[in-house]
Amino acid sequence: MRSKDRGLMAQDTKLTTADRMQDLLLESSGFSEFLLGLATVSAAALANKGTIWCTITVERNGGPITFAASSAEGLRLDERQYALKDGPCLTAVRQQRLVSIPDLRSEERWSDSLQAALDEGVRSVLALPVPAGAQVRAGLSCYAGTAGAFDEESVALMEQHVASMSRVLQIALRLHRADRHPEHLRDALKSRAAVDAAVSLLMLQSRSGRDGALDVLHTAAKSTNRRLQDIADDIMQGIELPAGNRNGGQGVPGQ
Amino acid sequence: MCPDSNQEPSRPDGKVKQRRGAAQCFRDIDLPLARVWTYYFGIGGGMDEVSLDAYLHEALDIPSAQMDLVATALTELTRPMEGDRP
Repeated sequence: MRSKDRGLMAQDTKLTTADRMQDLLLESSGFSEFLLGLATVSAAALANKGTIWCTITVERNGGPITFAASSAEGLRLDERQYALKDGPCLTAVRQQRLVSIPDLRSEERWSDSLQAALDEGVRSVLALPVPAGAQVRAGLSCYAGTAGAFDEESVALMEQHVASMSRVLQIALRLHRADRHPEHLRDALKSRAAVDAAVSLLMLQSRSGRDGALDVLHTAAKSTNRRLQDIADDIMQGIELPAGNRNGGQGVPGQ
Repeated sequence: MCPDSNQEPSRPDGKVKQRRGAAQCFRDIDLPLARVWTYYFGIGGGMDEVSLDAYLHEALDIPSAQMDLVATALTELTRPMEGDRP
């Protein structure tokens, strides 16, 4: 029996797929999570064709390659193609053209990567390019366990699907531009919280303005060659600043 | 080499020197603007990224407190600091 989530997705009609993509855009906290959602929505769009795995690949110029897959098998298959530098999904992404393989057993191209797919129980593949702007190449790959799973109707459906996906993906790429280094953003937020707290405390204690409080932090950091965030942490823990650092380094003892 | 923030921004020529030093440093360190802005924000910076960009290209005067924060950000991004984990 299907899980509750899948059941809900299966209820979705074609009409609501675009809405679901927009919801993903609003609800996903990061780009990877967004792609994962897109892969799942794509697989759900073909739910009546049997078991389908969908993967999405996004290659940014000078940036990392991002994969997302509606299942672990799909992820392995895409990674395998990248390791081999060859395969239908890679061809769809790099050459931005549709690749359809109704039966992997009678396909002669991409023998290595297709053998890996056969080993995973895949019999047919449909890979579509997803237009995503000048700096980005993206593709959606669908894998099915039966031969000829992707008939004309499903190809047409998926072409429509990637057209809606294209717009949403381009918005997501802009929204999550900074997602390349999420650790920097997290560090900055953490540091900012510490600095703001210390600034507030200093302002309260000396009834000074924000600039004056920042100057205290700046002067203390500079004179000890320590990070401003570390000074802020010290202040919040009640550790005294080195003499002469309070009041903007004017030499007046603190408090 | 990146300047330390020891210039005296209250003197007009000190301000110009500090701005020039920051611009020179930004050219030398080869870090993306977004990285510098994010760090500057993290230590309490109050300007938007476009203003920081302009300042780092010597095209904008900014308040002394912000100049100091930019200098601190550039210093902390480029130098080992006391208390850093190895």
